[in-house]
Amino acid sequence: MNKKNTLRRSMAAMLATVTLGAMALISSTVMAAQGPALKSGDEYMIVANYPNQMHVLDLKTDSIYKTCDMPDRFGPGALQVSPDKKTAYILNNGYEDIYGVDMDTCEVTFHARMAANKKERTKTIYAFALSYDGKELYAVQNPTLMERDHYRVQPTRLAVYSTDAGVNAKPIRTFPSPRLVTAMQVGKDGGLYMAGADIYKMDVKTGEYEVSVPSRNWKRERYVQPDVLNVWAVQTPTQDFTILYTTARFQKGSEDLNSADWLYGYFNINLETGETETKDFGPITEIYFTGTRSPKDSNIMYGVLNRLAKYDIEKQTLLKAAELDHSYYCITVSNDGSKLYLAGTHNHVAVFDADTLERLNTITLPGGDMSTTTAQVFIR
Amino acid sequence: MKNLKLPQLMGGAVLAGLMLQAGVTHAAADAEAIIKNKCLACHSEEQAEPAQFSRMSHQRKSPEGWLMSIARMQVMHGLKISDDERRTLVKHFSDTQGLAPEETAGARYAMERRLNTMETYESSAFEEMCARCHSGARVELQRRPAAEWENLVHFHLGQWPTLEYQALARDRDWMQLALNEMVPQLAADLPLKSASWDKWKSMKKVPMAGRWSFSAQMPGKGDARGVMTITGGKRDQYKVKLEGEFADGSALKGQGSAIVYTGYEWRANLKIDGVKMRQVFAASADGAELTGRMFETVHDEAGMDFTAVREGSAPKLLSVQPEFIRAGSTEVLTLVGTGLGNKLSLGKGLKVMEELYRDDNKVVVQVKASKDAAMGTRSVSAGKANGASLNVFDQIGSVKVVPSFAVARVGGNGGSTPKYNAHFQAEAWMNGADGKAGTDDDMRIGFVPASWHVEPFDAQAEADRDTHFTGKMDAKTGLFTTAAAGPNPERRMSTNNAGNLKVVADVKENGKTLSADGQLIVTVQRWNNPPLP
Repeated sequence: MNKKNTLRRSMAAMLATVTLGAMALISSTVMAAQGPALKSGDEYMIVANYPNQMHVLDLKTDSIYKTCDMPDRFGPGALQVSPDKKTAYILNNGYEDIYGVDMDTCEVTFHARMAANKKERTKTIYAFALSYDGKELYAVQNPTLMERDHYRVQPTRLAVYSTDAGVNAKPIRTFPSPRLVTAMQVGKDGGLYMAGADIYKMDVKTGEYEVSVPSRNWKRERYVQPDVLNVWAVQTPTQDFTILYTTARFQKGSEDLNSADWLYGYFNINLETGETETKDFGPITEIYFTGTRSPKDSNIMYGVLNRLAKYDIEKQTLLKAAELDHSYYCITVSNDGSKLYLAGTHNHVAVFDADTLERLNTITLPGGDMSTTTAQVFIR
Repeated sequence: MKNLKLPQLMGGAVLAGLMLQAGVTHAAADAEAIIKNKCLACHSEEQAEPAQFSRMSHQRKSPEGWLMSIARMQVMHGLKISDDERRTLVKHFSDTQGLAPEETAGARYAMERRLNTMETYESSAFEEMCARCHSGARVELQRRPAAEWENLVHFHLGQWPTLEYQALARDRDWMQLALNEMVPQLAADLPLKSASWDKWKSMKKVPMAGRWSFSAQMPGKGDARGVMTITGGKRDQYKVKLEGEFADGSALKGQGSAIVYTGYEWRANLKIDGVKMRQVFAASADGAELTGRMFETVHDEAGMDFTAVREGSAPKLLSVQPEFIRAGSTEVLTLVGTGLGNKLSLGKGLKVMEELYRDDNKVVVQVKASKDAAMGTRSVSAGKANGASLNVFDQIGSVKVVPSFAVARVGGNGGSTPKYNAHFQAEAWMNGADGKAGTDDDMRIGFVPASWHVEPFDAQAEADRDTHFTGKMDAKTGLFTTAAAGPNPERRMSTNNAGNLKVVADVKENGKTLSADGQLIVTVQRWNNPPLP
């Protein structure tokens, strides 16, 4: 991708949502069928990238299985896979639209514009999830009223869509939502876990919510308020919803940050059982954007940004780290836990041996940067 | 109308330059017609006499601030307006809803494009809320009532919805703090109505035409002086001609055009020795002095501190060049100012051996400093002209790198953003009575020649070979020219040519070498580069 294009895009992302957004809307058409259908029992991974496409990767051969063109404008390319593994939902068009794409045909079968009316500009900051049965889609929306000569930022809201509502989906319910929500996942009991200042659990029928895992408001003796920013709601084979935090723990009897232990940890919600965890896994020596536990050994935590790292959670030690050719944002793991897939930034998906952290393969995607796409691994 | 492209409007220097191009600026009365024609699609007319419009009539700001607002209307809100019309509006708003001189004090560095200024504020809330993403000066150069500060909060979050998710925002109830604490604080500290603005508005403004004696100092080039001739003045527009020299004898010559906003905000575009340069000056209330910075239009990091005094105003000494003399030595000193009288007073122990040149604005003398001349700073006068000082020293005790911390940026390489280089100077200090360097009684001498090089700042910089990749230091001038922009496959993880450097100055003194160091961060481009950083 040439530099000028990259530049123009980054400028557009920063600035020009109004004009470019309006232009992009015109071309919201249903895409033609493309490529082969997915095969039952095979393992796949999806990622999205510039200019505006979604790739299905075959994890048996670690190669591209098919590529679907996406409507409107790319960004951020956050993805969720339906429970029946037939439909991929993608947040795109400058954070303003969610599309459901039939992965067999590349056809757009669902489209919801986040704005409730023409006066609104509404963004979803990665915050969308599917119900456990796949019948509903939940999105936290950040609306701004575009008045004639001023803006009014509106309270955030949770919008509930029926996934069979087609390409002009409207919310079937809306509720007030806490601000700052990013990654979300739904538990087996139907509760919606929303990662914001704390991790909330919302009853999607009534809109009532409570703190499920305290984060900003945690009460951990000698610990300072943790810092959390996770925009990758990775759907794991073990039904774990994992979010990393960084924090500092004072020495006993001290409140001196200089002598404090700086720690990495994770919040985890087992979506199957509803069990929650808040656990440190190692000292901060470098930054990870995402982390995931091994399906083979729940005591193993992997983290990625500028290196791929592997931790023993109980011992809180770094077991191994692999150097990378460039930054990767999003880590996912194969269902059997044998391979790690790194995505985000550039157009390379890096494949690593989960035990040895040896680099096995690089899948080069046609097109450009993956930005903050959420890579999702699943078995059809 | 010239079709405005984003990159063009994003470039600070280029955008600021748009304020000032050849062409007729309409009289202020035309501004109202433009507003009624172009702005009322979105804004409303609140009253007819005197005309008052929603939003725009309830703010005051700098010329650059008005330019940014109007340019934003063009880029983001579809305003169609010619360059000429925009200039008319910027002039009108700056004149009628500008800032009084004292209201810009402490924040002029932003207009002067001193992008390496390190800001500190008493209010950490202000720092974290506003100065986290852009300069605090951009805020300080605005005045609004609470309702307009509130609109600004909504604009910020509406336009950049992720800002409340960022570090120093996501750890707190950002919106509540912004609306309920920051808005009242800003409305109290930076109110729309002020006595100083009322007073300034009613004051008679002094036209700038005349001959001005100037003194300047530029890193890498040193002292400069000369005469700036300003002509014209119709609708506050001028022609300007600069005739001067650097201390090394090289010429500082050029010409261009200028405009005065708000009765004192001087903005000029010049071509100096083939290089486009800008002047951002403030005129004093009596119209006798101009102070500010002259810098390259494209590389605004390359610039000089600049002061000028009008010929015919009260006698004034702007500078003694160089600003220091060693006890026991004989040196040529140049006094710069205007109305320089015959009787030179250099203080005890300094004797004028010979007057080499004299005119009303410049006196060149050979001066002998006796060995027992008192050390330190002394005031100098030439007849009635005073205001400058001279530092007498016996030996350099220590050296400082100025600035001690700087940020440079990679650029070029086919991208839209030029390199942002770094300029360093070696500042000599003498030990005080205690004979020790680095203590409170040290006295500043001035900028002296040095030999320059860079080293890795730390082990990481060494491992990443930052000195090899980030750019080149000119050993003589202290100018660091950054490397090309973009990922570099030769670097670890193909990273940019960014790095962390120690900037070292070596100054020879009595056969010894005095060293000093500063820090230079070389980082990526400033993509968003409006006139006010």
